[in-house]
Amino acid sequence: MQSIRSVILELQPESVAQVRVRITALEQQQKELETAYSALASALPLLHFMSITVFPDAQYDPVLVIEANFDGAPGPFWQQFERAFGEELRAVLRCGKAPRDGRAALFQAVTRAGSRAPMAQLLEALSVAPIVGHQGNRGLDRARIVADGAAFTAVQAILDRGDVPPGTAPADLHRLLRAQLQAEFGLDRQAPPRIPPAESLADYARLAIFVLLLVVVALLPGTLLGMALLPHRGFGLHLLIGVGVMAALLAGLLAWVRTLEQGDPAQDAPPRDEAALRAMARREDRITQNHMGSIVHIKPGVLRAMLLPVALTVLSLYLRVSARDGYLSSMRTIHFAHWALVSNRSRLMFFSNFDGSWESYLDDFIEKAHTGLTLAWTSGIGFPPTRYLVQDGASQGRKFKAWARHSMAESLFWYSGYKGYTVNQIERQARVADGLRAASLDPGKAAAWAMDL
Amino acid sequence: MGDGSMTDAPRPDVGAWRLDAEHAPLAQGLVVSAFAHLPEGCALLLTLPERSGGAWLASLRAVRPITPALGKADLGAAIAFTVSGLQAMGLDDAALRSFSTPFQEGMHQIDRKRRLSDLPKLGTVVDGGPAWSANVPDANPDPTDPTPTTTPATVHAILLLYAADSPALAATEKAALACLEGAGVRLARRIELSLRFDGENRAREHFGFADGMSQPVPFGGPIVTRDGAPFPEDKLHGVPAGEVLIGHVNAHGEPAQGPIVLADERSAMLRADAAPEGFRNLGLDGSYLVVRELRQDVASFWASMDRAAETLSGNHQGAEWLASKVVGRTLDGDVLVPGGALSPVDGQPRNDFTFLATDRHGLGCPLGSHIRRANPRDGLAPNDAAGPDLLAAAQNHRMLRRGRKYGPAIADPRHDDGAERGLLFMCINTDIARQFEFVQQTWMLNTSFATLLDETDPLMGPAGRFTIPTDPLRSRPSVATFIHFAGGEYFFLPSLPALDYLQALPAPSS
Repeated sequence: MQSIRSVILELQPESVAQVRVRITALEQQQKELETAYSALASALPLLHFMSITVFPDAQYDPVLVIEANFDGAPGPFWQQFERAFGEELRAVLRCGKAPRDGRAALFQAVTRAGSRAPMAQLLEALSVAPIVGHQGNRGLDRARIVADGAAFTAVQAILDRGDVPPGTAPADLHRLLRAQLQAEFGLDRQAPPRIPPAESLADYARLAIFVLLLVVVALLPGTLLGMALLPHRGFGLHLLIGVGVMAALLAGLLAWVRTLEQGDPAQDAPPRDEAALRAMARREDRITQNHMGSIVHIKPGVLRAMLLPVALTVLSLYLRVSARDGYLSSMRTIHFAHWALVSNRSRLMFFSNFDGSWESYLDDFIEKAHTGLTLAWTSGIGFPPTRYLVQDGASQGRKFKAWARHSMAESLFWYSGYKGYTVNQIERQARVADGLRAASLDPGKAAAWAMDL
Repeated sequence: MGDGSMTDAPRPDVGAWRLDAEHAPLAQGLVVSAFAHLPEGCALLLTLPERSGGAWLASLRAVRPITPALGKADLGAAIAFTVSGLQAMGLDDAALRSFSTPFQEGMHQIDRKRRLSDLPKLGTVVDGGPAWSANVPDANPDPTDPTPTTTPATVHAILLLYAADSPALAATEKAALACLEGAGVRLARRIELSLRFDGENRAREHFGFADGMSQPVPFGGPIVTRDGAPFPEDKLHGVPAGEVLIGHVNAHGEPAQGPIVLADERSAMLRADAAPEGFRNLGLDGSYLVVRELRQDVASFWASMDRAAETLSGNHQGAEWLASKVVGRTLDGDVLVPGGALSPVDGQPRNDFTFLATDRHGLGCPLGSHIRRANPRDGLAPNDAAGPDLLAAAQNHRMLRRGRKYGPAIADPRHDDGAERGLLFMCINTDIARQFEFVQQTWMLNTSFATLLDETDPLMGPAGRFTIPTDPLRSRPSVATFIHFAGGEYFFLPSLPALDYLQALPAPSS
């Protein structure tokens, strides 16, 4: 089970420059190791992707966000995180504004002069969980992704050496490769199921319960009204009234949404900060994966405030049951992505670690998955006009790209636990490794398996 | 004009696509035609004097008019400008900033070079680096990256001339050059272009493959049939007019954006269509022209094929077989399918195929072959249900190709004669980032295209492995680099009214 968490810390505006310097230096240290990022890779064995970003904002003081996508529960991870970054982390935390809520004492204990107090608990307290999260290679922990990749590479090396006689039947090929790699890669140990039955059941149950809850809440007013007005008639009639009132409410809600949408101002041409754009471009397209961090303000109003969490929760629960193989519609380029509500639900944060260029990623959304994206971002201030929450919006490619780019900030620090691999490649490697773990394959399965080699 | 052209094959029922009577006199002929009826040609890369203004263009057009999209002419001429060219001509900053970002930054901007894989360390650039570009100054250079971003020659404009034979070409070229010289315009580079049809009336590129098989077919807006009716949407190759012409509705359902200028008396010849209030559309009926000089080393190509073929098992798999796998088509242009190739229809290679139905695993046309990367059609779909969506998505990344080969034919493809030859790749698109750059980065030179790992386009990319899916087991020969980037830039291909506007620009004062 993987977790997605983001530490959110408002910064003292005067200290922002210092934070940027410190984080850039941290990244530089990792880059300059003999094997870049090797120290981080071993200090944070649970970590898939991580970023540190400072988001400027015209209305708020800058906010520091540490985005982490990792295996297991948050507690142990933040402890490893603390050990990995040590006192440099504390120096960065000291640049934050002290929380004014229940976390004030904890923050004070960690950041006061000379403090040696553990930081993990504060990190956990400052972190938010996503309202929508998505993992492309669901259920694969980092160790398995790395190990499967190594096994795959070893298979390729054997095949490229030409050791396998031409025309070898796939089942024999499987036997031959398995024999050669068995000891080195522990192929006798079966991999655990990627989505354990209990987790799977919980996904469906959560969706069903939430939808049921929505229906019950929607039916309630009319049904109660029926019971009050016609107490002597049967419950069937009361329920029927409930359905009627629910339909009327839904229609009213849609009309309300549409009225809001027709009046919502959009920002077709957000201001362009050339230096910021260049700073982002400089970091992108270095490896096959890329990173995007974005924060947008949420449109005001009671309907938006109610609708957004509901819509995002439905999207989230739906993705848990529908996108288990990593495909959002027909696109599979996202390793980890999530939306989270921050700043007292006044801002919507989005992070994504994806394959390919930013342009191609956005094109993928525009061309293949704009409905879900429009639903999630329709409440963002300035977002291209939408219809009924899911139509238009992100499909207006140029405007959407300009809006999305404007909402982004440079990822000052970005780390990938397996930077050479795409989501597709990881799945391919997993299929090959799973095949190798099987004691034998029947000819049909072996032929399909060999197509992946 | 499209009729009979190399690239825009006419349909038997409605002829080739063309522009309606309103727009045909306004757009440059190069948009609708590759001038295939004019097999001789040359590209003149021009350097303008500082603060040239537009007068030189006026005198050039008096001598050699730029061809409109009206119909076949005996001579063809097209002209396009780089951002530094427009600056030298005195186009104001506000107008320059209204061009698309890739055009403003130029092809050699440091981050773009990385995206396009134009990096010397990859071995895909000619020794000494590219010879020409617009040399756009970088307002925001990266002090940590030492990759050079300037070239010896600065190109401000490209003049393309086409004629039926060499004497006619020589005459028109001489007249144009004399006029340009008189105006202080220097010839930075001359590239002689040729179609050189073979006996079967096929244009072949230098490696020997029939070329120019697949083109997008615009529809909608001003695109009409020979009878003036709206051109029908082609199921496989149809793209909205705005994908190739600025100011018309594009694949994102809005008029393709282009440069705008203030609506004042100087811009009276321009229309305001799709321009904001107070502006006129300088881009309308124009486009962006991507030009890349790609040098081909023919002997090295075939030597690499010979070497790699030897490493393959089985004795029928010679160099030609491997080369066709690299391209994805036979030498005659027929697409490979499991067990062979699609047979031509009426002597023409078929272009009405999809990959999902006939060759999902690439057992015929390899997943990473040149044509499959250049246009994956529905081949990237994870299942049948997603096929139509992926096909539609791929259509958002098409461009009209207008390239021609340069340099002499090689006598013996396996013997290097030392001559420079290659392809002057040219393509027309309105959104350089979404069309040309996307194809180059996300498909052609993507090291993780489809489910492949650590390999790029075997024809254009750096040396490396090339996966050939085979039943029961793929082979993965190593192929060398035989195409090198020798120079290139993004150009603005204006409409004829836009040329009128540009040529009236007064020389800027110092």
